[in-house]
Amino acid sequence: MKCYQCGAELTERDYCPNCGTGVKVYKRIIALSNRYYNEGLERAGVRNLSGAVESLHQSLKLNKSNIQARNLLGLVYYECGEVVAALSEWVISKNLKPDDNVADEYMDIVRNDPSRLEMFNQTIKKYNIALNHCHQDRLDMAIIQLKKVLSMNPGFIRAHLLLALLYLNDGNYAKAKTEAQKSLKLDSGNVMAARYLKEAEAMMLPQDIKNHEDTTKKQVTKDVVRYQSGNETIIQPVRTNVFTRSGSIWGIVLGIVLGIAAACYLILPARIQEVNSTYKKQISTISEESDAKSAQVGEYEQQISSLNADIENLKEELAAYESVDTTGSATVNLMKAVSLYLNEPDNMDAIEAQMDSVNLDNLEETGAAGFKDLYDSFMVLVGAELSKRSYAKGYEAYRSENFEEAIPALTKAFQYDNTNVDALYNLGNAYYESGDTDNAKVTYDKVITDFADTSSASSAETKLAEINNATN
Amino acid sequence: MINFENELKKFRPSLEIEDAEEIIYNQDLDDMADVLVSLIKDAKAEEASRHTRIRS
Repeated sequence: MKCYQCGAELTERDYCPNCGTGVKVYKRIIALSNRYYNEGLERAGVRNLSGAVESLHQSLKLNKSNIQARNLLGLVYYECGEVVAALSEWVISKNLKPDDNVADEYMDIVRNDPSRLEMFNQTIKKYNIALNHCHQDRLDMAIIQLKKVLSMNPGFIRAHLLLALLYLNDGNYAKAKTEAQKSLKLDSGNVMAARYLKEAEAMMLPQDIKNHEDTTKKQVTKDVVRYQSGNETIIQPVRTNVFTRSGSIWGIVLGIVLGIAAACYLILPARIQEVNSTYKKQISTISEESDAKSAQVGEYEQQISSLNADIENLKEELAAYESVDTTGSATVNLMKAVSLYLNEPDNMDAIEAQMDSVNLDNLEETGAAGFKDLYDSFMVLVGAELSKRSYAKGYEAYRSENFEEAIPALTKAFQYDNTNVDALYNLGNAYYESGDTDNAKVTYDKVITDFADTSSASSAETKLAEINNATN
Repeated sequence: MINFENELKKFRPSLEIEDAEEIIYNQDLDDMADVLVSLIKDAKAEEASRHTRIRS
């Protein structure tokens, strides 16, 4: 304890050892302040927060420098949900005693959790809004707002009390009683809460009281075990462990298991069936497409066979047309040759060249009778001369052993003039010399038959005998 | 029977954090020791004035 005049440390005497000022009354005031502090501490110990606030205020009125009383008052305010009042007390305490002050720790707790501080501020603002609603007769809004406040900060006693008052006014006495009881649980010395509780109980019907008590008992019996031990009734909290206390864990596990089971037995089969039906639909679609394509392929095959048949027919027609064309070309050549002869009868070279391209074999096959007549008539006029010319070419080729050229020339020579026995005999010789004995034999036979009693026929007989001897 | 209006008047708005500084500065911190000191000062001053009057 220090002297209020000079600040020197006081002794047991009633005056200051430094300045001599009388400190008897001062000491009594400090002692009284400490007594109130002790009273406040005791009241706070039994959660009589209102009584504690009252005692601590008294203590501080007597001695503003009672740091312990001021810090405790801050704590009591904090417990009541009055965070700003608590911070104010701790700030003043820190100002009065900067060093070694527990208020620092309290303020650090609040400062280091800004979200919690913000939450407190929000609850205070909402409480003030609710109070404003009350003054403006918007009581339903006020109740809603206060419920929000208490859900955020269940230790806010003033909000409980205001809500209890609103319930009382609304005639909802059971709820008013609950709120008053909650207030008293937080602050057992709260006179206002006690009054509201008394009022609510007084206004409640006996039936309501019974229902309310039943509800309360159920809540209590959940938390405690009561049993008789001799003459004493023992009430002890239910022993909880990780299994009983956190039954929700088992609930969650059971929920997960049931969820998996439901997924396996209810959801999964349906899902599988759905997937199967989708695949079946796809398969049926694909098979339909495949059938359609197979049918199309069959049609195409039929078309191909029919087109092949058409091609064959067309080839046949083309061949017929080609032969007709040959006949046509032979006729044209013959006509040209006749025309040449009519215009220039002496130009035998041109007539011969034109006649070379007339093939009588094809003509005979097609059976063009008119052509044959024309040809025969034309041969009467120029056949002998043409035969002579062809024979000359063929014989010369034969002599020079050029049988490939000799055979056609001699054939033409006999064709132009079928009395030219020399041409026929030498044609047989050309066949014989070239190794074509079959045609040689045929040609020699023709010489012997058509020109009997000629020297050529005798020579042909000799040659034919040679061929027969050689083959035998 | 509780009168709602009268009861409602007992409820004051709660202090918000924004108001904390003002509350701290405006708080009346005078205690009984301060009152005692001022009483003693007043007593001394009165005694001094009495001595002055007797001498005169």
